[in-house]
Amino acid sequence: MAAALLEFGYLFVVLALTGAAALRLGLSVIPLYVVGGVVAGPYVAGRLGLPYVADGEVIALLAELGIVLLLFFLGLEFSLDRLRASGSEIGRAGVVDLGVNLPLGIAIGLLLGWSFVESLLLGGIVYISSSAIVTKTLIDLGWIADPESEPILGTLVFEDLAIAVYLAVVTSLVLGGEGGFGAIGRSLAIAFGFLGLLFVAVQYGTGLFTRVLDIGNQEAFVLRALAVVIPVAGAALALGVSEAVAAFFVGMGFSASGHRERIERTLIPVRDVFAAIFFFWIGLGTDPMLLTAAAVPLALAVVLTTPAKVVSGYVGGRTYDLSASRSLRVGLGMVPRGEFSLVIAALAASGTTPVMREVIPAFAVGYVFVMSALGTVLMQQSDLVERLVFRGESDGVVKGGQ
Amino acid sequence: MTVYESDLPGVGKKHEVELGDGARLIIVTHNTGKREVFRRESVDSDSEKLFELDDKLARQVGTLLEGAYFQPVEPTRIETLLGDSTLIEWVEVGADADVVGKTLGESNLRQATGASVIAIERDDEVIASPGGDAMVEAGDTLVVIGPREACRNFVELVTGA
Repeated sequence: MAAALLEFGYLFVVLALTGAAALRLGLSVIPLYVVGGVVAGPYVAGRLGLPYVADGEVIALLAELGIVLLLFFLGLEFSLDRLRASGSEIGRAGVVDLGVNLPLGIAIGLLLGWSFVESLLLGGIVYISSSAIVTKTLIDLGWIADPESEPILGTLVFEDLAIAVYLAVVTSLVLGGEGGFGAIGRSLAIAFGFLGLLFVAVQYGTGLFTRVLDIGNQEAFVLRALAVVIPVAGAALALGVSEAVAAFFVGMGFSASGHRERIERTLIPVRDVFAAIFFFWIGLGTDPMLLTAAAVPLALAVVLTTPAKVVSGYVGGRTYDLSASRSLRVGLGMVPRGEFSLVIAALAASGTTPVMREVIPAFAVGYVFVMSALGTVLMQQSDLVERLVFRGESDGVVKGGQ
Repeated sequence: MTVYESDLPGVGKKHEVELGDGARLIIVTHNTGKREVFRRESVDSDSEKLFELDDKLARQVGTLLEGAYFQPVEPTRIETLLGDSTLIEWVEVGADADVVGKTLGESNLRQATGASVIAIERDDEVIASPGGDAMVEAGDTLVVIGPREACRNFVELVTGA
């Protein structure tokens, strides 16, 4: 017991230090937590003979809670009404984003000679932008007040929905294993049956969700919210259904209950603690040596998917009737990847093939690290990028209002 | 005036207010309660952040802007009504009024106007129930009680208007 507690103490010291470093350097905490995990884990500290945090069952369970709470909050922020109210613009920008980036990732996988499921995992990792990093950078740069924030945040909402559907399918494919079409069909049927039931419960159970949380005591409130979301996620996983998507649906159910703001206020610290453990745990399982095995896919993905996101974002911005330069910023704003690419990597790690178990998680860690940094830099240097991109056509043209 | 409202999913809400000269004031209200206030010079320019306030401070500043704490309506005189026709009034003594340099008894204000001086405010000091020998100085504020008509006469006499 003492050894385990000491190990967790070590974990939190590393998280606190990397978090402080991120604040100091003005970087996103997500990649730095991962680096903390790599350094303090068996593959670096362990190999050097230093005390290290082992990749045990307890920490994996706490990391799992991190995934569940991340997706629960996504569901909480997400409402079908909001998607409907924002109308067709989110739809168009979101479809362009999905239509360009997911197939591109799949194509890269197939090009590397990977199986379809492996390529689909790669597609998901390169498709989904990081809500946390993008939103934080929007606020830091003051873009939040400008028109480009709406297509960026709108597309993130669309991605959140797309990722829920994607995870539901891919979880069945990965956990369903190699049983051929019959087995895959069966696991997909179970997944969509369970999620369908959950969706109906969430749509018509608003009254129930409201009553469950009608309690003044803060401790009871937090415990009740967790007592709904964690068992549902656990039941989903036991059936081979994505626990993350189940948590997303429960979040959607609570978002309509009128308790949304209170849940956010009281549960954000809980989520942040477990999410930090999740990112750390991703690092623990990453062997930096494997990064060399992932080097080719990584280089290919960085070179191809960065311009693809910029272009799809640009087109998305245009569907919002933004000017060319603002549309370019929408594209730059979508470049950072982060937490959800790592959620997909965690799913891949539970797969059966060596590519899923080793190459994809190492790829995802490297990719998130490069793209979160590159994306943030591109956003900060958007003026420079703008001058480079529009150099040809803007000769002698004075930009309005500047 | 047009106010544009839009949702910022995961962040909060944004309100844009047209300022009339083509510029816009933009208020981003975060879900945490923080308010960020920006100004955008024109459609093409970028927003410039002016300041940010936490929830509590934003509400306090908001009531100030709304005028709930203070309305700037030229308070040359403050008056308080007692019953139907009797007033308490605060009257500042003009520099060249006749009463300056005289005691209340000498200036005979009560007999002349019908209103009585119940206090004299001089800087931070208050002379309550001043007697006939109390001296009136320029810049004093006299607190006067009397019928409406009497108070009006008193004001005319003392402010030098």
